[in-house]
Amino acid sequence: MAENKEKWYPGEGKLTTGHAVLYIILVLGLISAIIRLFFGLGATTNLNDAYPWGLWISFDVLSGVALAAGGFTMAAAIYIFNLKKFEPLLRPAKLSAFIGYLVFVVGLFFDLGQPWRIWHPMVMWNPHSVLFEVSWCVMLYTTVLGIDILIMALERWKKYELVAIFRNLYLVLVVAGVMLSTLHQSSLGALFLLMPEKMSDLWASRAIGPLFFTSAVIGGMGVVILESLISSWAYNRKVELKLLSALSKGLGLALLVYFAMKVTDLYARGATVWAFDKPHFFFYLELFGTVALPAILLTFSEVRNSIKGLYWAAGLAAFGVVLNRFNVSLTSYGGYRDFSYFPSAIEIILTLALIAGGILIFDWGTRYLPVYQSELTGKTH
Amino acid sequence: MSKAMLIDTTRCIGCRGCQVACKSWHNLPGERTTFSETWSNPRHMNSNNYTRIIFREVAQPDGKLNWYFVKRQCMHCLDPACESVCPVGALTKLKDGPVVYDDDKCIGCRYCMMACPFQVPKFEWGKAVPLIRKCDFCADRIAIGLAPSCSTACPSQALVFGERGDLLKEAHRRIGAHPGKYYPEVYGEKIVGGTAKLYLTPVSFEALELDHRGFRTDLGNVPYGIYGREWMSKVPWVALGVGGLAVGLFYINKRRAEVQDQKSQEGKED
Repeated sequence: MAENKEKWYPGEGKLTTGHAVLYIILVLGLISAIIRLFFGLGATTNLNDAYPWGLWISFDVLSGVALAAGGFTMAAAIYIFNLKKFEPLLRPAKLSAFIGYLVFVVGLFFDLGQPWRIWHPMVMWNPHSVLFEVSWCVMLYTTVLGIDILIMALERWKKYELVAIFRNLYLVLVVAGVMLSTLHQSSLGALFLLMPEKMSDLWASRAIGPLFFTSAVIGGMGVVILESLISSWAYNRKVELKLLSALSKGLGLALLVYFAMKVTDLYARGATVWAFDKPHFFFYLELFGTVALPAILLTFSEVRNSIKGLYWAAGLAAFGVVLNRFNVSLTSYGGYRDFSYFPSAIEIILTLALIAGGILIFDWGTRYLPVYQSELTGKTH
Repeated sequence: MSKAMLIDTTRCIGCRGCQVACKSWHNLPGERTTFSETWSNPRHMNSNNYTRIIFREVAQPDGKLNWYFVKRQCMHCLDPACESVCPVGALTKLKDGPVVYDDDKCIGCRYCMMACPFQVPKFEWGKAVPLIRKCDFCADRIAIGLAPSCSTACPSQALVFGERGDLLKEAHRRIGAHPGKYYPEVYGEKIVGGTAKLYLTPVSFEALELDHRGFRTDLGNVPYGIYGREWMSKVPWVALGVGGLAVGLFYINKRRAEVQDQKSQEGKED
């Protein structure tokens, strides 16, 4: 079919147009990052005293972490809920999770006013602070994911005796990963427990912690499905349709549970659900377009068993998680602030560069690390 | 005992002497100001302006205009949200009242700015390596027994510095002695668990329309930090619960797999 035509997207061994575009964005991002470090946040971003948190918090931090939830979701499904058939999806999920957390850490680094003090929470403690807990969980969980990636690298270097040592730690890694993820995924929502008066009724909920956790599971599963479909396309691999359609059943279930949670929460708080303004537009888009719609789509076996259907359902679900994080951290304040915020060019370029960098690392990782089962010499673990 | 400040807005003449005194004590740069539709100047609190007088003109039913001057600065909450949320403990409530900030700890995450119910902490947006800035209640002056610079400068005794308990008594005495002159509530007595800044106003804060200017009236009497601390108190139990469940299920699965292996082997032997 496309054998003679040159591919534009990454996946082939050689440099493609897609690679070139990603590298250009990465270089632009690097320049933006240097400008940001030398001139400061005020000069390079559109953040201000009315909007202390902007695109970098909404996307790099909140959305990045939620979309990287695939690592712990798959580990929990396989090792704790004993759904062993999903094992082929575990390693790519872990790789993308690790990259997601890297994006998060780098994004946070540039967002901090004092980036070089990013390590301060390690030694300066405030156990009352939800953000303190989040920073510890993220540090520890990124380490857990790092060890997972290290095991893959050791396998590639054929250092099997070292792999065996780490294998003994496997239970600890799985349990720590699931525990830390449960805590910080929900705690990222709990950050917003302290600002109910500033937020729109639509998102200012006391249940925001469990809501964040559930939607992170959705984001994680959505990304695992998308990532598997896209890499099958890019690396000319056969789509694992049976496996993905089984996983999409789980995604549909999670979406239904999340929809029920959202509706119950809105009803219990007596929020003004029906109105015509900007926040409500984004709210309807989120609840109906990216939670209800993919949930309904996934009830059809035709959707679950077609590549196009899976793309749409998983894509909508993952987009919905991102939209929710933007709504909670930006849209929600629209009625409260007298100012408006739209990210600056540098904020946007740096975020795009983080995404481009993530894709490039993933591409590199899948080619140099034993990520896919067919490449493994030993048993997956 | 905890120090506080009674701000009697009926006594304020709008001279802005407090703004100047604050700038001189904290070595803050002056700035060129311009006329605008409001007499309030500067237009916003920021990292160079820790306090400002909000000028309000409110039309009376008989057509006359009433002037109100409301001083804004850090409220120095008794149980501050900023102290509760700071991940590195850079903000602390001192025993004698001030909520102070440690330049050397802050990582610049700006969570305090998000969490403060009065939107007080401001960021040095103009600097390459910025810090948080806000009124510190002249903690250095209080420590050596002096009153904060703003109250020292006030010519009309609108800013009275003293013990919080005494000032509350005085506030209620004034309300009782002049029933028509004051709105019968002290802003800061109970709101978000109480603040060190206590306000007496001729009309309610709602009537002054200050909800969007840092003086919300719908904040409730619970300190905001409690919401975060409640969450944090559950964290160890969630960790134990999830961890225990995970370990338990892992071993059950392992055992089940072993039993199955054995069965299938026994089957082969037969």
